[in-house]
Amino acid sequence: MDNSTSKSTSEATNERGLRGKLKKVVLAYSGGLDTSVIVPWLRENYGCEVVCFTGDVGQGIKELEGLEEKAKASGACQLVVKDLKEEFVRDYIFPCLRAGTIYERKYLLGTSMARPVIAKNMFRDYGVIYSSNRLWWMLPKKLEPMPSLMDAQEKEMTRHVRFELTFFALDPKLNVVAPWREWDIRDPANEPKKDMYMLTVDPEDAPNEPEYLEIGIVSGLPVSINGKELSPASLLSELNQIGGRHGIGRVDMVENRLVGMKSRGVYETPGGTILFTAVQELESLTLDRETMQVKDSLALKYAELVYAGRWFDPLRESLDAFMKNITKTTTGSVTLKLYKGSVTVTSRTSPFSLYRQDISSFESGEIYDQADAAGFIRLYGLPMRVRAMLEKGI
Amino acid sequence: MARPVIAKEVFFCFHVLLFFSIRRWLTLQMKSELMLLLTDARGKEMIRQVRFELTFFALNPKLNVVAPWREWDITGREDAIEYAKKHNVPVPVTKKSIYSRDGNLWHLSHEGDILEDPANEPKKDMYMLTVDPEDAPNQPEYVEIGIVSGLPVSVNGKELSPASLVSELNQIGGRNGIGRIDMVENRLVGMKSRGVYETPGGTILFTAAGELESLTLDRETIQTKDSLALKYAELVYAGRWFDPLRESLDAFMEKITETTTGSVTLKLYKGSISVTSRKSPYSLYRQDISSFESGDIYDQADAAGFIRLYGLPMRVRAMLEKGL
Repeated sequence: MDNSTSKSTSEATNERGLRGKLKKVVLAYSGGLDTSVIVPWLRENYGCEVVCFTGDVGQGIKELEGLEEKAKASGACQLVVKDLKEEFVRDYIFPCLRAGTIYERKYLLGTSMARPVIAKNMFRDYGVIYSSNRLWWMLPKKLEPMPSLMDAQEKEMTRHVRFELTFFALDPKLNVVAPWREWDIRDPANEPKKDMYMLTVDPEDAPNEPEYLEIGIVSGLPVSINGKELSPASLLSELNQIGGRHGIGRVDMVENRLVGMKSRGVYETPGGTILFTAVQELESLTLDRETMQVKDSLALKYAELVYAGRWFDPLRESLDAFMKNITKTTTGSVTLKLYKGSVTVTSRTSPFSLYRQDISSFESGEIYDQADAAGFIRLYGLPMRVRAMLEKGI
Repeated sequence: MARPVIAKEVFFCFHVLLFFSIRRWLTLQMKSELMLLLTDARGKEMIRQVRFELTFFALNPKLNVVAPWREWDITGREDAIEYAKKHNVPVPVTKKSIYSRDGNLWHLSHEGDILEDPANEPKKDMYMLTVDPEDAPNQPEYVEIGIVSGLPVSVNGKELSPASLVSELNQIGGRNGIGRIDMVENRLVGMKSRGVYETPGGTILFTAAGELESLTLDRETIQTKDSLALKYAELVYAGRWFDPLRESLDAFMEKITETTTGSVTLKLYKGSISVTSRKSPYSLYRQDISSFESGDIYDQADAAGFIRLYGLPMRVRAMLEKGL
């Protein structure tokens, strides 16, 4: 467990050179076993003071209760808890929602999105960052004295290499428990136990009556529930409640980790699942065919980047610029039916809908002329005919 | 998927096939210059025609296509009935359905009537293959799917032929309300249309295969496969079944799923499917590595080097921005 006995040659680094040189470090702290153990280890091996930083990303009162005592009991000089919920939902979750990013078909990237917001805030406030695992990320050139609280700007973050976020994504023990929960259940042949779940009710115990929910969306982002406008975090929180009581959003998967191994995890993402469904349904009205194809293809890449901790990668940022632009007209409302673990759509409307009943209908119309079909097919199929002619030696 | 198989069969069997219904008929007369009569090109139904015709183009570029629907004056159901009566053609006595449906072993689709407004919820009595989730059994049903090289071979331990397997799963899925899809899709001919699909067995199979792949395919593979699957779907949707591109993608898919063998158990409950177990002799999942404890294969200390190198491009970029 001690770094100093590691066999890896990469251990010959700056890291141990910093021992004794640091006065104070800031630790991303969750109160779990590892982060609690790191505190005394840091003090003993680096001779520094430890400030514990906890981002409130909606993990719940229970997770935050008693955290200060715990931190101090393990030797920290201070615990800072920062409410990051609105920033988290508005600047991280919503962009991913708008892009439709799903990792390996099922994972809505809860943990992956939480890391960057925490890291960014630690940088913003403190300028230096350390993880809770036995791995350290150090500044590339020189160790800065700690800037005072609040005087670092966003761009300061780039001074320090940004891939601490990548690092966070690699750290299986940085247990950010957000408005979803992540459980480790080792054997993919086993069904999760019923009592394991915490955010969602078992679908079998969910109400026998379906619940209808209307989600209002403006330019690809949700703004209201049943007509009531809510802030990003409040909206998500409300949907977690509603989704939770209907058993929505349970995902059980075996995923490929960045570091190469597969791991099995179960996720509960009630509100997120509702939102993803709503946004997609509205897009089916507002996006044309080519757009949807390209968007879906890019969404796969977007998910990979987020999963790999590359939030601040210009590639991710550029994909986001695309997503923001392409969803400008995805405005309207979607009604969903929640029932015993599933979400189904029952209505979609949009002032920017590209769906026209007069064209879609079976009868002829002015805009759609049946006779055009002959020409269309002949030309659309021309490459195939030419190929067939080649094969037949015609 | 049904159109290419029908078209190909018709082409090779040299039959004169007369198929008449109020809404559609297909006549094939096989001679040396082949005349193909194909109708039903109304609105979005043209995609049906495209799928047939592209198949014929691929198989014989000299085929002429005659499509009465594009030329005649009959504009709707009423006209068609009247025309039939005038020519003493017996009109099939079918229960008037307000929906336009298309069914085969894989699915049943519904379009038209109130569905034409995407703001409307489908009526409960429209569905035919699946029970309403609210009326599905209160007890979940577990089903085990056996898969060999990416394709399903057995249900609950019983080996079945492809068609029997799908049929069986349609029953099982249907009674649990599985596989209802309501969507507004982009047609090939450019307009959007709203349709409701019932695909009970297919939904179960897609879930099972996907779950098994999570054990047998590594990360790069899944990413590439999922990306290519989008293209594959576009080609099939557009009627390009016999396109060499589709055939090549299929060669890839066949190869990459060689080791996707094993079994998956699914829980069906009131319209939803969840996975409860997956097993494979070719699983790339190793509990000893995945576990949080250190092991021989996965050395935590390697992570430091990995991160430094994985993040090197980002560091270089940051140095550039800072003028370092």
